[in-house]
Amino acid sequence: MELETLKYPDVSCAASGEPPSVIRARRINFSFGSGELQKQILFDISFDVLKGEIVLLTGPSGSGKTTLLTLIGALRQVNEGELTVLSRPLHRATKHDLIATRRDLGFIFQQHNLLEFLTARQNVELMFELHPDVTAAEARERSVRMLRDVGLGDRLDYLPARLSGGQKQRVAVARALVTAPHLILADEPTSALDSQSGRDVVNLLQQLARTRGCPVLMVTHDTRVLDIADRIIHMEDGRIASAVAT
Amino acid sequence: MISSFLLAWRQLTHHKMKLAVASAGVVVAVMLMLVQLGIRQGALDNSVAFTRRVTGQLVVVSPRTKTIFQAASFPRRLLYRLPSHPQVSRVQEIYLSQARWRNPWTYREHPISVYGIEPDRPLLNLPGYSERAAELRLRDHVIFDRMSRTSFGPVVETVERDGSMETEVNHRRMTVVGLIEVGISITTDGNLYMTPENFLRLFPGRTLGAVDLGVVELKPGADPQAMRAELQQLLGAEAVVITQPELVLAEQTFMRENAPIDFIFGMGAAVGFFIGFVVVYQILYTEVTNHLPQFATMKAVGFTDGFLLRVVLSQALILSILGYVPGFFLALWLYGVATKAIQMPFSMTLGRAVMVGSFTLLMCGLSAAIAVRKAQSANPADVF
Repeated sequence: MELETLKYPDVSCAASGEPPSVIRARRINFSFGSGELQKQILFDISFDVLKGEIVLLTGPSGSGKTTLLTLIGALRQVNEGELTVLSRPLHRATKHDLIATRRDLGFIFQQHNLLEFLTARQNVELMFELHPDVTAAEARERSVRMLRDVGLGDRLDYLPARLSGGQKQRVAVARALVTAPHLILADEPTSALDSQSGRDVVNLLQQLARTRGCPVLMVTHDTRVLDIADRIIHMEDGRIASAVAT
Repeated sequence: MISSFLLAWRQLTHHKMKLAVASAGVVVAVMLMLVQLGIRQGALDNSVAFTRRVTGQLVVVSPRTKTIFQAASFPRRLLYRLPSHPQVSRVQEIYLSQARWRNPWTYREHPISVYGIEPDRPLLNLPGYSERAAELRLRDHVIFDRMSRTSFGPVVETVERDGSMETEVNHRRMTVVGLIEVGISITTDGNLYMTPENFLRLFPGRTLGAVDLGVVELKPGADPQAMRAELQQLLGAEAVVITQPELVLAEQTFMRENAPIDFIFGMGAAVGFFIGFVVVYQILYTEVTNHLPQFATMKAVGFTDGFLLRVVLSQALILSILGYVPGFFLALWLYGVATKAIQMPFSMTLGRAVMVGSFTLLMCGLSAAIAVRKAQSANPADVF
């Protein structure tokens, strides 16, 4: 059955009224491998993330939270259950839909994975390759502004080799946010950062959630940042153990 | 904006050493391909240096002749039947043999090709030959090809300085009174040109009645192919009429069949291609592997496999150009070296330069196409 890509309605992050779910997960099951080696990672996961929410995903390693994040991030195919992200049904998505979804998200990974042969600014500007409607001048200006927002205004033309670990991670955060995504997914974004840098990053995320209504779903162990959460979903052994509003 | 090309450029130039190695691989490949193919072409071109100079539209040879340098002769009276045809302007007989030239400086003997050609309006493009007709009619006076190998001695310098020089050819005293420029080949080290009468004096076993090569000039407007069939009828089975282009082709074919130049130099060129391919592939592949996490990250944020393909292909293009330019100039220099060493002219042609350029692009493109599959295998989910 061929399904065309659903263009999601203009869910501008600053809309008002009944907030629709940005993430809607229902009865998601997920396994790795096949046949004899098949191992089930996620069991019957259901939850929502609404606009402007900051939701933390916690749990011991092996609890499946990273796998869940990859499913929401359209990095893996959903086989069982329903998963709708930014109004796109990922459980029925074609490869093209998955790529389109990824472009609307902002990803912050644990490893910054910056391209070592591009400067900080170029690494951030690279994201605009995916948004051809943005002019070159605008792309440059937004990249510079974003880097200033994360406190790297004086390191714009530095290669990653000349940046500290924390600074590289902040470049990665800038890269994730510069295209004004409609949903931010973060995997341990502060683990490589000292308290001040970590605090700066989560403050920035909080600001984005509040002012633009962009929800943030963050996997983290970092107890220092728990205060910014609207909700904490705790997972264990592939199931949601608890979902606590804070 | 960072385009895929700019990305490729920045990635390649980030490690100058790796870039140098990869480019060097392409340089070697380009140089090998150009030189091997150039020498092969030079060998072929040089083998027909003489036959190309035939200005008559048709030639007559014995049916047993496979190459004019080992020609079988045919009766002259057959050749003289041809002017009776209204479309034939005139004919000329050419005598060809090999003799032994004695280098008067080293006293060593070397084989040399000898041509018996009437200097009055020869049906051959030999600038400078007919001008010396008066001297050539003197007994045992000959003209030497200045392109002959230096193993014959400093003949050119001596003749230019003194006006003439003497030596023995087949133990017969001969006087070289002049020089013309023709060309040698793999099978011929040098050339001597003289009148048919002097030819006969040099080769007493020969008669003027046995001709090695007959050249036929047609009247303007005559069609060589049609005339060929008509004139063949006048000759019967003891001589064969072919067009001048067919003669050139036959000489080239003889060379290719008897000396495995296609195989040897073709192999050399193929080896060059292979070397370049392997080096470029190695570099591109390790570049991809070293950046697999970054490529996976790019896919995770929404870059397509197509974008990665453009990046790697751009790298292949950059390497092609960076390697071709120095390789080209290196080959040019080597042509000069070979020309001096082998004493035969080797030169670059536009066609060959373009062809090797295409091979270079193909070579780098193939490497890229295989290397990029590794990049496309990067699983964005593995970034976690």
